[in-house]
Amino acid sequence: MRILEVSNLTVRIDDQTLLSDVSFSVTRGTLHAIVGPNGAGKSTLVNAILGQIRFDGRILAHWRRNGRIGYVPQSFAVDRTLPVTVADFLALTRQRRPVCFGVGRDAARRIGAMLERVGLAGFEQRQLSVLSGGELRRVLLAHALDPLPELLILDEPATGLDRTASQWLEDVLLAARDRDDVTVLMVSHDHERVKRHGDRVTVLDKSVVADGAPADALA
Amino acid sequence: MTSFYAWVTGLAHSGVLPADFQYPFLVRGFLCVLLLTPMLGGLSHLVVARRMAFFSAALGQAALTGVSLGLLIGEPLNSPYAGMFGFCLLATLGMVYVKRRSSLPPDTLIGVFLALSLGLGLVLLVAVTRQFNVHQVEAILFGSLLTVTDSDLLLLLAVGVVVMVLLAREYNHLLLDSLSPPLAGVEGSDSRFLDYFFAFLLALSIVVSLKIIGALLVEALVVVPAAASRNIARSTRGYLLWSVAVAFVAGAGGLIVSNRFLVPTGAAVVLAASLAFFVTLVAGALRRDALGRFLRGRQAAGIAIALTGLVLLAARVWIGALLVAAGAYFFKFGWPGAQDK
Repeated sequence: MRILEVSNLTVRIDDQTLLSDVSFSVTRGTLHAIVGPNGAGKSTLVNAILGQIRFDGRILAHWRRNGRIGYVPQSFAVDRTLPVTVADFLALTRQRRPVCFGVGRDAARRIGAMLERVGLAGFEQRQLSVLSGGELRRVLLAHALDPLPELLILDEPATGLDRTASQWLEDVLLAARDRDDVTVLMVSHDHERVKRHGDRVTVLDKSVVADGAPADALA
Repeated sequence: MTSFYAWVTGLAHSGVLPADFQYPFLVRGFLCVLLLTPMLGGLSHLVVARRMAFFSAALGQAALTGVSLGLLIGEPLNSPYAGMFGFCLLATLGMVYVKRRSSLPPDTLIGVFLALSLGLGLVLLVAVTRQFNVHQVEAILFGSLLTVTDSDLLLLLAVGVVVMVLLAREYNHLLLDSLSPPLAGVEGSDSRFLDYFFAFLLALSIVVSLKIIGALLVEALVVVPAAASRNIARSTRGYLLWSVAVAFVAGAGGLIVSNRFLVPTGAAVVLAASLAFFVTLVAGALRRDALGRFLRGRQAAGIAIALTGLVLLAARVWIGALLVAAGAYFFKFGWPGAQDK
């Protein structure tokens, strides 16, 4: 039932302890939220799970399908010196041919379907640098959801989104969980939304403060 | 190669090629440009994307130190490749290693390496010039066609093929890692490997380019084509194509200017590249207004290029036939990358 187990996780950088003895688990097919104040170590926890920083302790994943992790980062600073289009960006991991030689037909078809799924049909030739924050987040979500991951990790995905876009994001995440059996692990500041739709929540402040059903953990 | 040079000389005498091509050293230089420009142009947009422009400058200085070291250990003056490759490789490994481990900004660290290699290079250069004529070492600093041999050409061909094949193999990973290292990591890219890998390819390319472009100026050909291309490119494919095109025009143009006016090849190439940058800057601004929309049209571009070719043909410069063919291509298919707009 568990897809992810984090045991006694400690992260230290330059004599500073960013996370201390964090233990929790994520159940397969659920929407699990990580909440906490600024500087609580939420993004550090995500980076540790993604294997991008050194840590003490153990992180264990139990894969059943493709073992793919979809990831939507908190920030994606687009380099304005790069004329990379949405299609170029999405093709980077969807074709073997170097993207500088063009996007292949199969990849182009697949990218068209991906963009339609996130409401950005026809955005293929837009440059990443001219997209709004909400549009860029949709592109990143399209990237994370294809192929369907077993675990979808989102770091504060609603930051900078208006109410309509937040509602759309919520619908997409719930559909991924309920229809496609994707486990969602999401860092969030929105306690009300987490209470409404989260299956489980871990409250973090360098270590685990509370862990359980949203109504109890966020009380 | 002698028969090849004789054939090209014959073409130059008959007017099919410009008269400059009657000199074998210029033919050799042109072949160098043909090999160099796809390699450096192809690398240049990734150099800009990975913010390694300053790193390239440091590698050029390191190559100078490598030349001095090569001469000190007894390598021939005309091909001190072991010294250059060896020291550039060491400098590359050192810079990438320290950059990945230090919390200091990369440009600060590269500045330290640049100062170190320049100081060491100058000290060794003084030691070397007690034994050799300093004017010969100047060829490494500023580039010279006269010193390029057939062996250099073969080395350039071999390295060019290896660099382009390896670059094509890892291109998508390199670009994704440049855009977002965390995302690239999740998709299975090894950021550490890519850092060393790209720096290694860059070092190889710079070392084999030195005899033409020169240690002090090679960085410009690694950075300026991408900067010029960025002014007009609208997609990754356009970025690559324009980078290679600008590098080629700068290389060929610089070669001709260098031959006609007897100025250092590297300097002429860099000036041509810089001119191309300002031309594309204006072109980039133009294409945003009505005139630009007209010029961008594939028919207008095709007709203009084909007419230029016809004018050349009328002047009995037969290479103009290539421009007529290119004009027909643009008329039919438009500018490279234009469909990505």
